Amino acid sequence: MSLIDKLKKIEPDKKKHPLLWVLHEGISTFLYVPNHVTSSGVHVRDGMDLKRLMVFVVLALQLCYVFGAYNIGQQHFMAIGQHTGWSEALHLKIAFGLFKILPLFLVTHIVGLGLEFWFAAKRGHGIQEGFLVSGALIPLIMPPDLPLWILALAVIFAVVIGKEAFGGTGMNFINIALLTRLFVFFAYPSTISGDEVWVSGIEATTAGAAAEYSWIHTGLLNGIFDMFGWSLFDTSAQVVDGFSGATPLALAYQGGWDQVTTQYTPGQIFWGGIPGSIGETSKPLIILAALFLVFTRIASWRIMLGTLLGAIGMSLLFNLWGVTPFMQVPWMYQLIMGSFLFAAVFMATDPVTAATTLKGKWIYGILIGILGIIIRVINPAYPEGWMLAIIFMNVFAPLIDHYVIEKNIKKRLKRA
Amino acid sequence: MNLLDIFIKSAFIENMVLAYFLGMCSYLAVSKSIKTAFGLGLAVIFVLGFTMPINWLIDTYLLNENGIISKLTGIPMDLTFLRFILFIAVIASMVQLVEMIIEKSSPALYNSLGIFLPLITVNCAILGGSLFMISREYTLPESIAFGLGGGFGWFLAIIAIAAIREKIKYSQVPDGLRGLGIAFIITGLMGMAFMSLMGIDPMALVASK
Repeated sequence: MSLIDKLKKIEPDKKKHPLLWVLHEGISTFLYVPNHVTSSGVHVRDGMDLKRLMVFVVLALQLCYVFGAYNIGQQHFMAIGQHTGWSEALHLKIAFGLFKILPLFLVTHIVGLGLEFWFAAKRGHGIQEGFLVSGALIPLIMPPDLPLWILALAVIFAVVIGKEAFGGTGMNFINIALLTRLFVFFAYPSTISGDEVWVSGIEATTAGAAAEYSWIHTGLLNGIFDMFGWSLFDTSAQVVDGFSGATPLALAYQGGWDQVTTQYTPGQIFWGGIPGSIGETSKPLIILAALFLVFTRIASWRIMLGTLLGAIGMSLLFNLWGVTPFMQVPWMYQLIMGSFLFAAVFMATDPVTAATTLKGKWIYGILIGILGIIIRVINPAYPEGWMLAIIFMNVFAPLIDHYVIEKNIKKRLKRA
Repeated sequence: MNLLDIFIKSAFIENMVLAYFLGMCSYLAVSKSIKTAFGLGLAVIFVLGFTMPINWLIDTYLLNENGIISKLTGIPMDLTFLRFILFIAVIASMVQLVEMIIEKSSPALYNSLGIFLPLITVNCAILGGSLFMISREYTLPESIAFGLGGGFGWFLAIIAIAAIREKIKYSQVPDGLRGLGIAFIITGLMGMAFMSLMGIDPMALVASK
C-alpha cells in the first residue's frame, strides 16, 4: 500500500473538522478519479469530466508560462541594452523572469485556493477545481511588475463577488480571470496601463534610469552563476537611449502601422519578443495551444473561429472607413498585436461564461471579435479591447442562448 | 449623424441603468423572467420615446419666457418651475395609454407586470430622461433620439439581467444573498462590463473625417 493509499484511508470527520475534510477530499479526488460510476440510464462514452477539462487547459498554458518567463527577462535586458540577442544569456533571462512570475503565481494560488477551500468548508460541499484554470490564467494576463497586494485584492474580489456569491464553480456569469484583471484595470489603472509597466526591473523608461535588482539577483543568483563562470546581473546597468517601452498597440494608436514598424518588426510581434502582459506575447505558442484544445475538444472551435471572423471583418470595415491612423492598420496586423489571440483562445472559450448553444457560440464569438476591435481602435480611454469585449459579451451570453433556444422551439412547433 | 450619435451614446455608453443607475426599482423587481422583462422594456422604450418630445414641446412653447402663455398675456413669465409637475403629468398619461394598450392586446403580460406597469410613471429613468434633455439643451429631433436610445439601453439592460437571473435560478447562492442581493451584485458587475464602452466619442470620429 503506497503512501497515497494510506492517505485515502484516513478520512477526517466532516462535521468536526470541515476544513480538514475539504482538504482531504480535494487532494484525494485530485489524485484519484472520483469512484462513482453511472449505474443506470444513459451512459457517457467518454469520461470527460471537469477535472480533465481543467487540467488540459492548464497543460496548454505551460508553453505560455515558459515563454512568459523568458520574455520578461528578454524585455528587461533589451531595455538596459545587454545581451540583446534572443539566445544570449538565457540563464539570466529565465532566472530573472522566474523570480517575477513565481510570486504572482504563488499569491494568486494561495489567495484563490485558500478562499475556495474556506468557502467549501463553510458551505459544506467538496472542493471544486474551478480555480485551477483561473489561477493559471491570472498571472499570464498581468504586467510583470504588478504589486502583489493589488493582485491579492483583485483575486479576492473576483473569487468572492464573481464566483462564490453565485454558488461556486460553474455558476459565475463573468470570467473569473478577466474579472480579476478588470478589477485591477479600474481600481489601479496606473499599474496596468501606459508604457511604464510592461518592462520590468527598471526604475523608469527614460534613458539613464537604473536597473532594479534585489538581493535575490545580486546575492543569490549572481553567487550561483559566478560558480559556473556565467555572465552576471550588472547592477550598474542603465536604460539605453531610444528605448520607449511602448507596446505595439500604444504606437499604433499614435501613428498607425508606420509608427509600430519604427520600433518592432512584424516577425518580432508574431514570435513574441515585445513588451506586454506575461503570457500574451508569443503567437505561435498560443496557436499551438489552440490546436491542442480544439483537437482534444476542450475548447469550442466555433467561438474561436467566430471571434477571428468578427475581428477580421471589423478590421476590414475600419480599413475602408480609415479616418484615424489606427483604422488603417491592415487586418492581419490587428490580429497579431495585443492580446487578441490569447483572449480568443483562452478567455472567450470559457465554457461557463460563453454561450452554450451551437448557434449562440457563433453569435457570441463574432460579436466579441467586432466589439474588441471597436474598443481597441476607437475608444481613446482603453488601449486594448479584448478583456472588455469578452466581459461585455459574458453579460449577454445567457440572453443569446435564450433567444437561440426560443427560435428553435418555434421552428420545431411549426414543423410538428 | 448627430442623432445617431445621441442614440448610441444614450443606449450603450451612458446607459440609463448601468451608468446612471436610474430606473432601478422596476429593473430589479421585474427582471425575474425574460418574457415580462421584455414587455416592460418595450413599454419603457415607448413611454420614453413619446414623453420626451411632448415634454420638449411643453417646455419650449408653454413654459419658456417666450412661450405661448407669455405671448398671450403680454407679460414675459418664466414658468419653468412647473416642469416637474407637468412632466410627471405627461408621463402619467402616457403610461395610462400604454396600460390600456397592453391590457387590451396582451392580458397575460398585463397580469405578469402587475403593479410595475403603472409604476413606470415614477420610473426615475423616464423623468430623469426628460430632465437630462432639458439640461443638455437638446432640440426636438435630438430629444426623440435620446428618448428612444435611453429606452433601448434600459430595455437591453433589463433583458440581459433577466437572462442572467434565469440562468442562475438553480445556483446555490448563499442564503443571505438570494433574490435582491444577488441582483444588486449582478447589476454592479454588468455596470463594470458596460464601462468598456465609456469614453467612445462617435462625433469625434466623424469630425476628424
